[in-house]
Amino acid sequence: MTSTDLALSARGVRMEYRDRSSDTSLVAVENVDLDVADGEFVSLLGPSGCGKSTFLKIINGLLKATAGEIKLRSVVKGREDAMVFQDSALFPWYSVLDNVAYGLVCAGVPRKEARKRASPFIDLVGLQGFGGKYPYQLSGGMQQRANLARALAVDSAILLMDEPFASLDAQTRELMQSELLRIWNAAKKTVVFVTHQIDEAVYLSDRVIVMAPRPGRIIADIHIDLPRPRQLSIKRSPEFATYENDIWRLIAGHQQATADPVQSA
Amino acid sequence: MAARTSRFAFFDSGLGRRLAGLAAANERVAYGVLGFVGISLLWEVASGTGLIRRSLLSAPSLIWKAAVTDFGSGAIWPHIATSLNEFGLGFLLALVIGIPLGLLIGMFRRVDYFASVLLSGIYATPKVALVPLIILVAGIGLEAKLIVVFLLTIFAVVVSTVSGVHSVAQRHLDLTRSFGASRWLVFRSVVLPSTFPFILTGVRIGAGRALVGVVTAEFLSANEGVGYYISLYGTFLDTSRVMLGIVLLGVFGVAIGEIVRLIEKRFEVWRPEIS
Repeated sequence: MTSTDLALSARGVRMEYRDRSSDTSLVAVENVDLDVADGEFVSLLGPSGCGKSTFLKIINGLLKATAGEIKLRSVVKGREDAMVFQDSALFPWYSVLDNVAYGLVCAGVPRKEARKRASPFIDLVGLQGFGGKYPYQLSGGMQQRANLARALAVDSAILLMDEPFASLDAQTRELMQSELLRIWNAAKKTVVFVTHQIDEAVYLSDRVIVMAPRPGRIIADIHIDLPRPRQLSIKRSPEFATYENDIWRLIAGHQQATADPVQSA
Repeated sequence: MAARTSRFAFFDSGLGRRLAGLAAANERVAYGVLGFVGISLLWEVASGTGLIRRSLLSAPSLIWKAAVTDFGSGAIWPHIATSLNEFGLGFLLALVIGIPLGLLIGMFRRVDYFASVLLSGIYATPKVALVPLIILVAGIGLEAKLIVVFLLTIFAVVVSTVSGVHSVAQRHLDLTRSFGASRWLVFRSVVLPSTFPFILTGVRIGAGRALVGVVTAEFLSANEGVGYYISLYGTFLDTSRVMLGIVLLGVFGVAIGEIVRLIEKRFEVWRPEIS
């Protein structure tokens, strides 16, 4: 694989929080190397405190790593990456259309033009006819669709998703998972997806990167060789169960005996 | 069901049903009116039977009579106009300076530090203590009253605006950073809309304070205004007119509150009705 095929390349990424008053430090992310190929769907999977969200925020530039290097494939226009946040973080004072257009407005596109360019993405995520609605008029699942449309509209090389379905009920969550695969297939994006749900990671991904806490690090990189396109019914196949079991054992093996509370990172 | 008859013929009649429907729809209003009228009636009866001394606490009928007299002769209008003018100008000044100041303090840490000692000092001081100084500096004209109104009002506006800026959701700020929004866009698209409800709260509280300011200033030195009207007739022991002045202030306060409520409704289409 040559470097031009890579959408993302991380080398030796380390994140350390220093507490000056007690002169101790907490290593949230330790020596993470990760390559993601163009068009690949990769999940970062692990329990709270394993640094998966922190690592995602470092890729996004919201946090600055203590050490290491992140390379994103440069794009001709627009942003290299776009973030889909855990809570939908839609602006309640904007209509769905204006929310979806927001990333474009940030990039300097005039509002009218941004709206025009945003509206196909509203259709793509299945929100036809809801452009004029306000977020409070949408269900949780629909809010996450709008959230996704906003990230897609900026036409980035990589989509970063931070547990976007965490607050949805189980049924809506499954529906959104299959919707995400449909949209991923249509939009042809590279996705880095953070989750703590094993089945979600296996169902969605080409590769599942398993992480462990204290310090947050990668303990396994598992290729999911399930055929695509995947129906939700694949979750009940024996191959799927094998992947789930293997990953579950990996995580359980690294779980510390003491369950001390660690802030979600 | 036209064929049905009932002992409660009245309630089945068109008029009865319409009245009942109206009462249900306006329960809030109905009980409000009932409370107001009821207490007024009690007051009237109590002062009529001598339970309340009319010479000290007047009676609704006497206040009404005073209102008819003074509105009829037009004698009260200049007082109302003067007070409204002081209120309007002082309040506007406080908003025009207070809202931008609050936004600056909220957004820039250093401005916050710079202003904090001064602001909390003046905030904690009873503003009435400044009145002798204000009269000395600004005289007893309109300027002095505007200063009193301004000082009483601006802190509510500033404090409310600052807390609005501080309560801007981190997830929204993260989002603007993630998209690389310019500072000006962050202000326009996130800080201002998030802070707006807090600013309106400041406006609402400030309006009450401004009214206090108007009356305070007029008590201390004035020859016109509703506060002056109250204190003047107080010295004449004309408690009906004193009460009339108080009622006017109350009505004015309620009206301002309602206006702010209308503004809130107009601007917050995105906020779901709290049920």
